[in-house]
Amino acid sequence: MSREYDHLFKLLIIGDSGVGKSSLLLRFADNTFSGNYITTIGVDFKIRTIEVEGELVKLQIWDTAGQERFRTITSTYYRGTHGVIVVYDVTNGESFANVKRWLHEIEQNCDVVNRILVGNKNDDPDRKVVLTEDSQRFADQMGIQLFETSAKENINVEKMFNAITKMVLNTKKEQKERQQQNRESTVKLQRGSQRGKKKCC
Amino acid sequence: MLPAAIMMDQQTVSAIQGFLGSQAKCVTSIEAGLVRDWVKTSRILVLVQNNNEHGLLVFVSSKPNVTSTADLSVEKAFPINEHFKCEIDTSGIDVFAGADVYVKVTYQKQKLLFELPFSPRTNTFVAEVTRAAEASSLRVGPPPSFTWLQAYVPLNVPHTLWFDLSDDNVSHHSVGSTSLKSGLAFDDNFSELMTSDNWPSNTELKKSDSQESDLDNSENFGNIPRQSIAMGATPLAARESVVKLQMTMREEDYTDLQNFRVFIGTWNVNGQAPIISLEDWLAPKSDLLPPDLYVIGFQELDLSKEAFLFNDTPREEEWLHAVSNALHPEAEYKKVKLVRLIGMMLIIFVQVKHVDCIQNVAAETVGTGIMGKMGNKGGVAVRFDLHSTSVCFINCHLAAHVEEFERRNQDYSDICARLVFNQFKPPKFIKDHQQIYWLGDMNYRIMDLDTDQVKGLIDKQCYPTLLEHDQLTIQHGFKRVFVGCIEGPVRFPPTYKYDPGTNDWDSSEKNRPPAWCDRILWKGEHISQLCYRSHPSLMISDHKPVSSVFEVGIKVVDNIKYRKIYEEVMKKLDKLENEFLPQVTVDKMEVHFERVTFIEPVSRFLTIANTGQVPVQFEFIKKLNDTRYCKDWLNIKPYMSFIMPGEKCDVELEVYVDKRTAFKLNSKQDTLDDILVLHLEGGKDLFITVQGAYIPSCFGSSLDALVRMPFPIREVPTAKLIDLETHPKEIKAKEPPFEIPKELWLLIDHLFKYGLTKEDLFQQPGLHQEIQQVLEKLDTGKPEHMPGSVNSVAEALLLFLEALADSVVPTIFYQRCLDCSNNFILCKQVIFQLPQVHRNVFLYIMYFLKELLHHSAYNKLDPNLLATVFGSILLRAPPNDDLDINLPGVRRNQQLADRKKATFVYHFLMNDW
Repeated sequence: MSREYDHLFKLLIIGDSGVGKSSLLLRFADNTFSGNYITTIGVDFKIRTIEVEGELVKLQIWDTAGQERFRTITSTYYRGTHGVIVVYDVTNGESFANVKRWLHEIEQNCDVVNRILVGNKNDDPDRKVVLTEDSQRFADQMGIQLFETSAKENINVEKMFNAITKMVLNTKKEQKERQQQNRESTVKLQRGSQRGKKKCC
Repeated sequence: MLPAAIMMDQQTVSAIQGFLGSQAKCVTSIEAGLVRDWVKTSRILVLVQNNNEHGLLVFVSSKPNVTSTADLSVEKAFPINEHFKCEIDTSGIDVFAGADVYVKVTYQKQKLLFELPFSPRTNTFVAEVTRAAEASSLRVGPPPSFTWLQAYVPLNVPHTLWFDLSDDNVSHHSVGSTSLKSGLAFDDNFSELMTSDNWPSNTELKKSDSQESDLDNSENFGNIPRQSIAMGATPLAARESVVKLQMTMREEDYTDLQNFRVFIGTWNVNGQAPIISLEDWLAPKSDLLPPDLYVIGFQELDLSKEAFLFNDTPREEEWLHAVSNALHPEAEYKKVKLVRLIGMMLIIFVQVKHVDCIQNVAAETVGTGIMGKMGNKGGVAVRFDLHSTSVCFINCHLAAHVEEFERRNQDYSDICARLVFNQFKPPKFIKDHQQIYWLGDMNYRIMDLDTDQVKGLIDKQCYPTLLEHDQLTIQHGFKRVFVGCIEGPVRFPPTYKYDPGTNDWDSSEKNRPPAWCDRILWKGEHISQLCYRSHPSLMISDHKPVSSVFEVGIKVVDNIKYRKIYEEVMKKLDKLENEFLPQVTVDKMEVHFERVTFIEPVSRFLTIANTGQVPVQFEFIKKLNDTRYCKDWLNIKPYMSFIMPGEKCDVELEVYVDKRTAFKLNSKQDTLDDILVLHLEGGKDLFITVQGAYIPSCFGSSLDALVRMPFPIREVPTAKLIDLETHPKEIKAKEPPFEIPKELWLLIDHLFKYGLTKEDLFQQPGLHQEIQQVLEKLDTGKPEHMPGSVNSVAEALLLFLEALADSVVPTIFYQRCLDCSNNFILCKQVIFQLPQVHRNVFLYIMYFLKELLHHSAYNKLDPNLLATVFGSILLRAPPNDDLDINLPGVRRNQQLADRKKATFVYHFLMNDW
């Protein structure tokens, strides 16, 4: 009870301008939504602590400016990120077409990172132009998990953030296990060589 | 962490004593952080004493460093009586990491949580308070009035933040005021009386008391004392503290009381082996329900020398076996712990279904026998946490003999003081448990009645009368022993001393009066005794066994509720943490500089307003691989600063294009565009876009481009300009290029006409405004007379040469020039190898300078001076020599280079070529 958190992860939200990155963050961190559109000019973050698989995870979630002219600057914020959320707008085909570029951006700027694809504004079937089967096919192709969300109607937002957190947590655990195995094998090796030495003496 | 809390300076201590006056004495004091809702605010805790009465005062200080009595005001005053509790909680902290501990002060329903550094001083303070509380509990007679303490209570404290209190409002002026109405019954409402209703803390506390959810009460956040946070007086409390506070305050919301049946039995077996069944004692037919917990204590398990000397006895196993066989048949039991010290043994069994609910089991023993140390007397104890309730059972065997009751009292105190569960940090004493059960052969006798009188009263079952003569009842009444413990009514005959094998009183010569040696007492909440009895049918010892069954309320955390509340707290904390991130608004995210010309500074202002809850430190930071936080032609003042909540900061952005930056802008290698990263320390970054239009100038152009411009530069289209600057020689023009730039000719021609005899030419500075006018004229080609004074034109000439994209002697020739500066022939060779335009310009200037020297009688110029001035301008070192000029070696080299440059030019001034 006294511990503050077991893990601290940095997540990054990227995607074209106006797809709802800030709205997703606001919904997840403050459980609010504002219909007024304010362009993010810069990078902002919020925190939220959640429990995943019985462990307390503190998330620091960075929301970035989507505008093209800030692309080079925002790319510097990829460093140290554990998970990236790539957002497009299901009512805007171009934003989906640009997902590839964003994925490329991740490759350019991150080493190993968990990614998740998010089609936001999925709350009005009449306005939807990016069909689920198309985006799902693309996601499968790229080996990314797809979520269709609505920050406005609070659909799938919590689920999506939980999913990426779980992915990051699992990656961390796998890494730890691998390290442990490596250490164990190193120890064995060392022991072996010590014994060898003794024989020599 | 409260760094200042470690030491409390003498001034503070004397201020406190001054405040208290002669009424009371300050026993000890400490600074502490009061964790309330979401913030931690600084307080001073003072333990005060008046005669034998103690109180705890919570002081608020109007200054970070208390210097006088006037800085202090009392926020709360707690009388230290039976309602008062002070607990130190170090659970879950890393004591080695200099962490903080939590001290919880409880008075009836009020709870305050303080954060203190884990230090000896804190320990001392808590120990003193605890001692005072113990002293109060030992007091006999009518409850004290605490009138003296009431005098310190604030009465007219206005509803403002403490640091806003003017001297007139400081509460201590109300000491002894008329509001002290007589006849107030402040037994139950003491806490209400002891605080002013106007205190925000009080109202908040009341909310928590009434189990109203503070979490949903958003106005609490609005009340966060923004200014005081800004002053650094009240940082947001550590998340850990807040979680702790919230979870403590709401404990009732997620814990349920679950009833447990606890059987406690004690028997002095007088060294006998268990040759009989114990069922009549441990599971009599009348006990229909099986106990959840069995706590069974024995004394005089083995009276042999071996047992005493080696603490080893076969009896342990025998009696354990006998007990195991006699437990209630309706349930299955598992042993929790067995502890034994010579003849004292304590065994605890629990129903198998509860095994997982028991944690942190520990056992300890204390000997108080021979030499006050040996284990023939003393106590053995087992403690554990049953769900969320801590329980401790102590089986004791106190000193024998009728007249030794004081020795027995002492044994009890010794056990309390010396029985420590050391495996916990901090160590746990008996008193640190929520439920405490004492059992054993306490050896208290019946006094002042002879054996026959006692036996007579027993026969008539006049137990109440007899108990008036019972030493334990008497000593307990005097608070000499088992203070705070309760014993149920004794309705069974004395359990000592019988002839073994019978139910007959001791028939030996001593003819002792019977006594209630074997007793069971308890302390704690939610404990009710179902029965308290002896078991005469067990006859192998000279004592009869005693037992008691309790129905005990155990705090069980409802995991679903706990989780829900925990999540609620977390969520609210997250929200708060987000709200406490630095926030600013900037009045414009895009800054436009419409028209920028060479060496004409243009400024724009940004207003950064701190719209958040915390002080903001902002800084314009470098991006990517830049060496500076903005382009060279931009200056930001201040580029970093500190803004208090609610305040603003104006930032000046100044564009100034000079000789360093002009060429790139002229040739469009750079534009007046930049994105500034405004970073908030510990928070977000904002991107501010800077845009402007640079008006090209002949200043900052290249010689090659200038000689190919038949028109003033302003009339040259941008695309043509770029071509001229990037590949001038490939441009086909109708007219051949000029020998030298027309601008140079205009400048020198003017000086030739009006300045030849001008004294101190190139030494008197020009006027900035006039230079700009000259510049404007050269760029626009207006045909009038060159404006301004000769000095301004002369400086414009120097500036023109300095701003050239490449110096008159191109930088690639720089080193060669320096190397041959002592040889005129070689110097001449270099010059004749220069590109044609450069050579033309160099020689043109030399002609002009020689002409000037011809008039030295008037203009007082000498060749050394001119060589020095023009040497440094015509010969420019290649760029990227970013050496720090202040380094001694670099400066010396610089001086040497300057001398060589002057020498180089000097040759041409003094010789014909």
